[in-house]
Amino acid sequence: MTTTTYQPGEIQGLIKINASKCKGCDACKQFCPTHAINGASGAVHSIDEDKCLSCGQCLINCPFSAIEETHSALETVIKKLADKNTTVVGIIAPAVRVAIGEEFGLGTGELVTGKLYGAMNQAGFKIFDCNFAADLTIMEEGSEFIHRLHANVKGEANAGPLPQFTSCCPGWVRYLETRYPALLPNLSTAKSPQQMAGTVAKTYGAKVYQMQPENIFTVSVMPCTSKKLEASRPEFNSAWQYHQEHGANSPSYQDIDAVLTTREMAQLLKLLDIDLANTAEYQGDSLFSEYTGAGTIFGTTGGVMEAALRTAHKVLTGTEMAKLEFEPVRGLKGVKSASVSLFDTELNQDVTVNVAVVHDMGNNIEPVLRDVMAGTSPYHFIEVMNCAGGCVNGGGQPIEGKGSSWLGNI
Amino acid sequence: MNKKKHLFAEDSFFLSRRKFMAVGAAFVAALAIPIGWFTSKLERRNEYIKARSQGLYKDDSLAKTRVSHANPAVEKYYKEFGGEPLGHMSHELLHTHFVDRTKLSS
Repeated sequence: MTTTTYQPGEIQGLIKINASKCKGCDACKQFCPTHAINGASGAVHSIDEDKCLSCGQCLINCPFSAIEETHSALETVIKKLADKNTTVVGIIAPAVRVAIGEEFGLGTGELVTGKLYGAMNQAGFKIFDCNFAADLTIMEEGSEFIHRLHANVKGEANAGPLPQFTSCCPGWVRYLETRYPALLPNLSTAKSPQQMAGTVAKTYGAKVYQMQPENIFTVSVMPCTSKKLEASRPEFNSAWQYHQEHGANSPSYQDIDAVLTTREMAQLLKLLDIDLANTAEYQGDSLFSEYTGAGTIFGTTGGVMEAALRTAHKVLTGTEMAKLEFEPVRGLKGVKSASVSLFDTELNQDVTVNVAVVHDMGNNIEPVLRDVMAGTSPYHFIEVMNCAGGCVNGGGQPIEGKGSSWLGNI
Repeated sequence: MNKKKHLFAEDSFFLSRRKFMAVGAAFVAALAIPIGWFTSKLERRNEYIKARSQGLYKDDSLAKTRVSHANPAVEKYYKEFGGEPLGHMSHELLHTHFVDRTKLSS
């Protein structure tokens, strides 16, 4: 019997090294968080699928463009866009709007939300901003954290363990699942914004759009290659399960039908002759394109924590944070930490919450996890993102010249 | 048969020497290119990350609403469909379970 770290049906080996282009220069090994790349210096390298998180950091940093994705949904999406009986819902992740412009000659970091909505609308997508789902994630994950905090303070028997980890980053989730299964109870059970968006689009969305869920085709546009693996997880068919329980009878479908990376969305628009740089701005066409500032900063390291603190502060104290910008979790330090003291109206006492933010996971997470394993971690809530800088530097983002942006660790 | 073997042995000697030089050259080239690449990357490191993050912080500061709990669409979702955070519907639709992936059999 062979064993693997994948569930049946999941995409295995999403990231591959093209042997004819690989020079064996070892650059990729500097960026792999799990040491999944094998091969001696000067010899052609290969990837150990069981260790690989599909994060794509090796891909965007290979100086020879020798690393590729094996799965692309581009052709399927084009067919679905042409199909009159299908509504194609485009779910746009936060970090895409500050990077896709680069593929159309705009400056790095230029915010193109309106243009992207316009271009995708022209291509035939209904706009569903994943930032809306990020707001939903904060409601669920933030409430879960407050619940755990209170249960621990009160010493309740079934209080979930602290620290609570964020669960938005699929690379990070897979890292814990493959290497630290003992810490899985610490992971928030909230789905990632991508998966919440897919589920909501096919349940509540089906009502709003007045459509049958089978006729909705959800395409997420992600700065991340690992989101393809996440979407293929067999348990992520909640909308189908919901409709089955309510009397439907149809073959199973996933909550997210297809994932395009930022690069692939740019490719799609180019194939359809849509120049994003010269597209008129568009506001979006449903309540699912309403999002907040808290939702949009999910795309950068510290953003989830900042968004969660804004809401936790309101829930715990009854008042909004005086200054919404929470500087201690911003910036590119490997591990950022902060203490927040506030008056908890439910407990009627002062509480101090210690938070930490980790990114560039391969270089920074191990000491943090060792403390948690030993029970000596000072933190209550920890945000982890695999990629250096967060999703803005994800494996699905545009590649600038030879290799993308990175934090120097050589 | 014998002759062929002899030729093969001689060839392999000369070829391996040539091959050795070719591999050495490729290795030097492979080393040389990344050194330049790393240096240029070191100079411009973090530039893209910072620029893209700034774009998102700008989106935040421009937003009409800046806190998730005040998103009118989110309020509408819970009111018309989802109930409340951590409620029954949320448990069914918005939460998941994780998998111990150290020993899955295919």
